[in-house]
Amino acid sequence: MADDMKIDDYLAQGGMLTSPDNAPPRYRAELLRLMAAFVDSELAGAAGFADIINEGPGVKERIAAARIVMEKTDHADRVLRLMGEFGANTDRYASHHPWGDRLPRDAEIGTERTNPDMRLAVFNYPLDGWSDAVVMNLLMGCAVGVQLADYALISYQPLADTIRRIAPVEARHTELAREGLERLLETGTERAQLQESVDYWWPRVRLSFGSDESKRTATLRAMGLRHRANSELRARWKAEAAHRLEELGLSIPQ
Amino acid sequence: MARFHPLTVTEVRKTIRDAVVVTLKPEDGDAFAFTQGQYLTFRRKFDGEELRRSYSICAGLDDGTLQVGIKRVDGGAFSTWANEELQVGHTLEAMPPMGSFHTPLEPGARRHYLGFAGGSGITPVLSILKTVLAREPQSQFTLVYANRAVNSIMFRDELEDLKNLHMGRLSIIHVLENDAQDIDLFTGRVDGEKLAALFKHWIDAETVDTAFICGPEPMMLAIAQSLRDHGLQDQQIKFELFASGQPGRAPRKVVSKEAAKAGHETEARVTLDGESRSFTMTKDVSLLEAAIANDVDAPFACKAGVCSTCRARVLEGEVEMQTNHALEDYEVERGYVLTCQSYPISNKVVFDYDQ
Repeated sequence: MADDMKIDDYLAQGGMLTSPDNAPPRYRAELLRLMAAFVDSELAGAAGFADIINEGPGVKERIAAARIVMEKTDHADRVLRLMGEFGANTDRYASHHPWGDRLPRDAEIGTERTNPDMRLAVFNYPLDGWSDAVVMNLLMGCAVGVQLADYALISYQPLADTIRRIAPVEARHTELAREGLERLLETGTERAQLQESVDYWWPRVRLSFGSDESKRTATLRAMGLRHRANSELRARWKAEAAHRLEELGLSIPQ
Repeated sequence: MARFHPLTVTEVRKTIRDAVVVTLKPEDGDAFAFTQGQYLTFRRKFDGEELRRSYSICAGLDDGTLQVGIKRVDGGAFSTWANEELQVGHTLEAMPPMGSFHTPLEPGARRHYLGFAGGSGITPVLSILKTVLAREPQSQFTLVYANRAVNSIMFRDELEDLKNLHMGRLSIIHVLENDAQDIDLFTGRVDGEKLAALFKHWIDAETVDTAFICGPEPMMLAIAQSLRDHGLQDQQIKFELFASGQPGRAPRKVVSKEAAKAGHETEARVTLDGESRSFTMTKDVSLLEAAIANDVDAPFACKAGVCSTCRARVLEGEVEMQTNHALEDYEVERGYVLTCQSYPISNKVVFDYDQ
């Protein structure tokens, strides 16, 4: 059974790679880039949320926020360990960027990654208090859910396995955000204030799905590192997030 | 980062003509505690150049021993050496076990595992089947094992013994490419057609909890497709790919070290995705920045010498790498650099992201 098959063909036909040894150079680079973006976004997201824990109106809310910080950091760690198997320095990684750094709230950066790290652009914007953080968490949580569903199909099996373990926990974070918003509305927070946060975060989260088809997307697709198109992911997110907002009496900004 | 540790060879046993089972005793036993289905990465110098090769552990968790199976690959430096020269008492260097070709064990589980192995792909599957049959007394395992001929079946006797030991819980279907068998279905290649027939007559796919596949790429693709067609979800299918993508011998490094000359500019040539581009760059710009500035879509992530995404190989010329937290010495020796941290010293630099 010593059949020879080029690894590119194997990947294009849906094959799975299982260890760093299998990965050709370009695949390795794209995979590490993708993992770095995930790790950086989780670390930056957790760092931003950590600052907000003590602004939670009650103990339950603070526990929820602390849990989100802890679990997102844990998810970063799990993917970082996979990067470590490729030679990345896991010890230095967490401390080589100031993950809590943010730009001014009115900065216009589009999809640019302004820091030398690979966090999604949306994580460069600062949270404006507790209710704003919960709104951001709901909208971003929906985006993460859609993105992870695509990553779960990724052709690097150790990452696909890890993502499948992470996804339900991330989904719970979105659920916590929904509960948090319900509670805010019950305890007298004005809907208009929440809507303001929705209006602020909606376009910024939306941009995290990137532009429409690019040459890079085609390359990634051939490697089995991407499956659905950006436009499709964005549409899924929009449908899901819109439904969540509607349940709370909030709406998509015009 | 994982480190290499010394292990002493305590037994070398031929299993078939061109494959050996090597038993190893690590100096640091704790570092080599393994999970069924994992592999070890070895390193050794051949003609002054370091080679790294990964081989799956074939022992089960309860065997009380650390064993790998090494089948000789034509032209393969490490596997040939292991088959012809490796002896008891030799010391090998390996990294601690790695790999995620397994599912968690549950003593009370009643599972049906289905394993597919092609040739030496049996090694991790053997480790898994031994372990689950011992640790999950109510689970069963069906093995479909593809080989060229009877005399190329690794672990044939051992598998028969396991069948007797775990009476009724282990079934083995040998599919032989060249040798005729009593049942026609078991002769030939494991392809889509054969799999359809196997699922129709011999294996009830609906009862399968997890499938493990290890073998050549076309066989793995055919099996995965067939499993999906028969209702298995992606998370129920575990792959282990090895052997290919591991050239027998790495090409020699072609680095001509030019003495650094005065002059601030460097002629650079970069290759990415098979396309080369030449440009002039200044020496105070990193290779990565210069490539990007010249519309090369070079890969990068951390830009801090930590993540290794931007790794490339310098084929000609000399560069200075300011920070390196990701590449190992042997990679640097071969001319690999982190392009985000590398600045030209010579007046000409050729580097390649595709190597």
